[in-house]
Amino acid sequence: METNDQHGGRTRGRARLVLAAGAAALTLCAGLATPLNPAPQEARAADDDSKVLTVAVAQSVDSLSPFLAVRLLSTSIHRLTYEYLTNYDPEDNHVVPGLATAWKSSPDKLTWTYTIRSDSKWSDGEQATAEDAAWTFNTMMSDPGAATANGSFVANFEKVTAPSPTELVIKLKKPQATMTALDVPIVPRHVWEKVDDYAKFNNDKDFPIVGNGPFVLTEYKADSHVRLKANKDFWRGAPKFDELVFRYYKDQDAAVSALRKGEVSFVAGSPSLTPAQAESLKNDKNIRVNDAPGRRFYALATNPGAKAKNGEKMGDGHPSLLDQRVRNALFMAVDRKTVIDKVFQGHAVEGAGYIPPRFSQYFWEPSADQELAYDPAEAARLLDEAGYEKNGDGKRVGKDGKPIDYRVLCHATDPNDKAIGQYLEEWWGDLGIGVTLNCLDNVTDPWLAGEYDLAFDGWSVNPDPDFVLSIHTCAALPATPEETGATDNFICDKKYDELYARQLAEYDAAERADIVKQMESRLYDLGYMNVMAYPNAVEAYRTDHIESITTMPAKAGNIYGQDGYWSWWSAVPADSGDSGDGSSSTGVVVGIVAGAAVVVGLGVFVAMRRRATADDRE
Amino acid sequence: MTSDATSASVGASTGAAAGPVKDGPAAARGPRGGRGATAYPRYVAGKVAGAAVSLLAVLVTSFFLFRLIPGDPVKFMTGGRQVSAEQLAVYREQFGLDLPLWQQFTDYCGKALTGDLGTSYQFNAPVVDKITEALPNTLLLTGTAFVLYTVLGIVLGTRSAWRNGGFGDRFHTGLALTLYSLPSFWLGLLLIVTLSVGIGPLPGLFPTGGMESGGGEEGFAYAVDVAHHLVLPVVTLVAVEYGQTLLVTRSALLDEMGSDYLTTARAKGLRDDLVRRRHAVPNALLPTVTLIFINLGRTVAGVILVETVFSWPGLGGLFYQALSVPDLPLVQGLFFVFAAAVIVMNTLADLIYPLFDPRVGR
Amino acid sequence: MTTEKIPAARPRGLAWQRRRASAARFWRQYRAHRAGVLGLATLVLFVLLALAAPLLVGSDVDDVTGAPGSPLERPSAELPFGADRFGRDLLGLVIWGARVSLLVGLLAAVLSVAIGMVIGVTAGHFRGWYATVIMRITDWFLVMPTLVLAIALATVMSRSLLTIVVAIGVTTWPTTARLVRAQTLAVETRPYIERARALGGGHWHIMSRHVLPNVMPLVLAQTTLIISSAILAEATLAFLGLGDPTVVSWGGLLQDAREAGAVSAGHWWYLVPPGIAIALVALAFTLCGRAVESVLNPRLGVAR
Repeated sequence: METNDQHGGRTRGRARLVLAAGAAALTLCAGLATPLNPAPQEARAADDDSKVLTVAVAQSVDSLSPFLAVRLLSTSIHRLTYEYLTNYDPEDNHVVPGLATAWKSSPDKLTWTYTIRSDSKWSDGEQATAEDAAWTFNTMMSDPGAATANGSFVANFEKVTAPSPTELVIKLKKPQATMTALDVPIVPRHVWEKVDDYAKFNNDKDFPIVGNGPFVLTEYKADSHVRLKANKDFWRGAPKFDELVFRYYKDQDAAVSALRKGEVSFVAGSPSLTPAQAESLKNDKNIRVNDAPGRRFYALATNPGAKAKNGEKMGDGHPSLLDQRVRNALFMAVDRKTVIDKVFQGHAVEGAGYIPPRFSQYFWEPSADQELAYDPAEAARLLDEAGYEKNGDGKRVGKDGKPIDYRVLCHATDPNDKAIGQYLEEWWGDLGIGVTLNCLDNVTDPWLAGEYDLAFDGWSVNPDPDFVLSIHTCAALPATPEETGATDNFICDKKYDELYARQLAEYDAAERADIVKQMESRLYDLGYMNVMAYPNAVEAYRTDHIESITTMPAKAGNIYGQDGYWSWWSAVPADSGDSGDGSSSTGVVVGIVAGAAVVVGLGVFVAMRRRATADDRE
Repeated sequence: MTSDATSASVGASTGAAAGPVKDGPAAARGPRGGRGATAYPRYVAGKVAGAAVSLLAVLVTSFFLFRLIPGDPVKFMTGGRQVSAEQLAVYREQFGLDLPLWQQFTDYCGKALTGDLGTSYQFNAPVVDKITEALPNTLLLTGTAFVLYTVLGIVLGTRSAWRNGGFGDRFHTGLALTLYSLPSFWLGLLLIVTLSVGIGPLPGLFPTGGMESGGGEEGFAYAVDVAHHLVLPVVTLVAVEYGQTLLVTRSALLDEMGSDYLTTARAKGLRDDLVRRRHAVPNALLPTVTLIFINLGRTVAGVILVETVFSWPGLGGLFYQALSVPDLPLVQGLFFVFAAAVIVMNTLADLIYPLFDPRVGR
Repeated sequence: MTTEKIPAARPRGLAWQRRRASAARFWRQYRAHRAGVLGLATLVLFVLLALAAPLLVGSDVDDVTGAPGSPLERPSAELPFGADRFGRDLLGLVIWGARVSLLVGLLAAVLSVAIGMVIGVTAGHFRGWYATVIMRITDWFLVMPTLVLAIALATVMSRSLLTIVVAIGVTTWPTTARLVRAQTLAVETRPYIERARALGGGHWHIMSRHVLPNVMPLVLAQTTLIISSAILAEATLAFLGLGDPTVVSWGGLLQDAREAGAVSAGHWWYLVPPGIAIALVALAFTLCGRAVESVLNPRLGVAR
């Protein structure tokens, strides 16, 4: 019993210690933190009143090296920190000077000469020259590690030289119409030539990172924040905000709430805010919802009987889909108006041609007799005509005698895919066709192997449409089934390819646009890429933080993920100030009260325990 | 994590006791049986060896289990780009994917022993770096929550047992069971809606997510900023976790209070209060101690949901992100860390238990 | 075999009588636990709702094309819980979702307990190296982070209800196995087992006739408790987007709500009912499990 008593006593002492530690921890996080909440904001305000623009983001940075980064956030950061040769006008997407002030091509279309500006300095004080640009391109051409992200831009380059600090000469193997759309960040040679392995170097150790864009990258903490400081010496003029911070909210609701509270100034969502979020934000008088035509198309891709370049068959697409009538019938049974009204709830435009209307010079619409309008009866007739008739159970039967059941590949992370998938089940079910939704986190594997019947597909279109057009050429097919091609959907059509080659060699803008439209028409008729909608970019910002900001295109355009640095560079801080929020004073008061209540409660609790112990001792 | 698929510990702990809880003491009886001090080192050696075997087994599982995930990582890395067979081969060689599976495995094990867990596919950085980057954040969150729910659970559990059957007991047991039944992610979302966005006249008091404002705070201001971000995720974790500790403490205490030696003590004329405090509580805390350590390990692994809901930049979010690629080296590394946390904590519980046991004559 | 049946008839009748009596006793004791009765009543209510769902709400409640409301409509007299992102009736969906959530919870728990029981009974019965190895494996599963393992399994397999059931079942059995083994060891020390063995009862006979009936009550309590965590686990996996998107379950509804942005838009009616349903059912199963346990082991009960 003696021992027991002693031990008991000791354990109790220990328990009290633990209790005290717990109380201390609780006090620290609940009590202390809340009343002192305004501290950071005060600290920031004291800092010569510097204006901070905070943007909520969700996507992780894959790499900060321009040679490796492919994700939207990383490449946007590169747009802000490095100059590219050219840029796109925010008004109407036409090409404007970047690091290059002028450019011209030789009569044989094979030599391009760029004049490099002499008023762009790297943030460490060195002059940015043509030599830097030549070195960047040459490194990408010679080192496979450096070609990881943007190698396709230099694939057709013969030779790149810099005869003088202001002159860059690029020799091509074949004519290439995209020479004013080389979206490659030019890096400072004097910094980057010290790197030994471009495949491994992530450019995220030595801050600030030397650049010459409108902002300088000063801090990066993975999945927490990215901080950029305004480059006061930027040749186009310094940004109006002093700092730009990308802050992580992995949860979109958290990001929207943060905007509503004023923790951040801007939210784009990934890929956009949901209709419900947009609707609720509209009611806030300090928030502006920017619901602008997007740059994406959203399509239903049909497996065209995937093949490799060597003619070997790949995957297992349903044979009935080789019949154009079947493909057209399937699309005619898709009620695009419902897709817009119910799934996007009006935040999208009904699909037509391949390129969204935002790129007006390339936008194309089918003629009245070409159009595959919503018409389930006609769809049923087409299927009957193609020989896929209903059996006794009301199911359409394939040539192999089995009921048709299409596997539709969908992205598990995209709510729209899943929603439209459920509609497809019912629409096509009415036609007598079964649907199996195959929703995956990562669709790459079945996709690249051609193991699907239909798939939800979508791309962001650049001001120069070359890339999204190139992914449907035969040349993009993988060489053998074991290899990977740049192809999107295994389309290989001779007529389309001829048109593609013609537009690539056409340096006259209007002529080229005309050929592009013919390509879109061809693509529409083939029925392999059925564009259902052009989703809007739905984003929101606080008008009490940002007074004005440039959208692209200027009239009705998006803010996040522009081709260029216009939005963040042009953003003007509102008078009411930085990220401090209007409700903060009430928040602080209530916070202090709540914190105090917790502390008092804990105090009473501990006191009671004490007294109980004291009673015990008497 | 209680709202995940962990065992049915709440109920089990009140009855025949959950496996680990009862087992700790049972296993620990080894050194007690009169063999005295010399038995303890041997006992320690046995437990440590067992843990080492478990860790090795985890290493093996993490390697093979995740090879089953469909998806060719090389295709993911090069997705959407034209890649020739040669380039693919270069990639495969670079990540050691061209070797036969057994050789990949021996390489993996060999490297793992030297602390190298490979290179993450998507971040192009050593897995160990990614993990050490996120680990402190997870530890901060789980550590704070752990201290709070343990203290809360023990204190309330003790009080409940003393006032067994009274209103306080019924109230606290009921509340603990109810909170334990809530999906933690759902509770987190509701907390965000009410306390961080603000509802009606109630303004938002806490940040909606993340770990810091990123406003360049330093020193004390930074600590306060982080603490402020910590409140809601910690409250969520504590709410769903403390019930288990409460119930185990309570039932262990009830169990103890029925023991013969307490009757003896009472018969000796000691006051009821004193008997409970001096004798029952310390002994009843023993199974709780085991549970505490096991919980600590499990909380690290189970924090995935709370980290997701509150955008906390920790291991959980990293794991979820890695799975969708699949970023095999990162997934393997994280799985190993999660399992190792549980194993190490279990072993610690086993090791510490005899030291805490006042009945061990040492 | 047939010759044996006839003499066995009478003792078996006796055994049945004994079992009926003990069941009645069990029920009497169970009734004394108010919380347990409350839990049971809640469960019965939910089970009835789930079974009657086709009659109550119709099996076309999850059709997207014939949805009665507009997307994310607020609650009204017509749609008491409002509408989901397709405009479907949320009250109907919550009722319909009970079918899936209960079914998944039940199947996962049955799978988990079945694995645990087989492993526990055999490990307790056949000692020796078999038991050592199998318990080593059990111990090892026990230390696996369950949620992490379940997520990994759900990722490895295709998205379906079966996947969820398997992922939960395969990761939660070790606790049961240990409990059952301990009970088996205790039962097998009893004299009548020795007698049965002496009379020539084989392994199968002893395990199925003598051990199993004795561990059944424990298994029952364990099942109830595991269903509770299985329902939570189903919700968790569905919430993480690992469920089948075309099947309506409570966890799936929450995931839909989150994806639609209901949290920040303040659409509480989309978010609250499925969460409460999950919590209620999980709580009900826990209460039942605790009541069963305290009947079996009264020393730990409320009324000491």
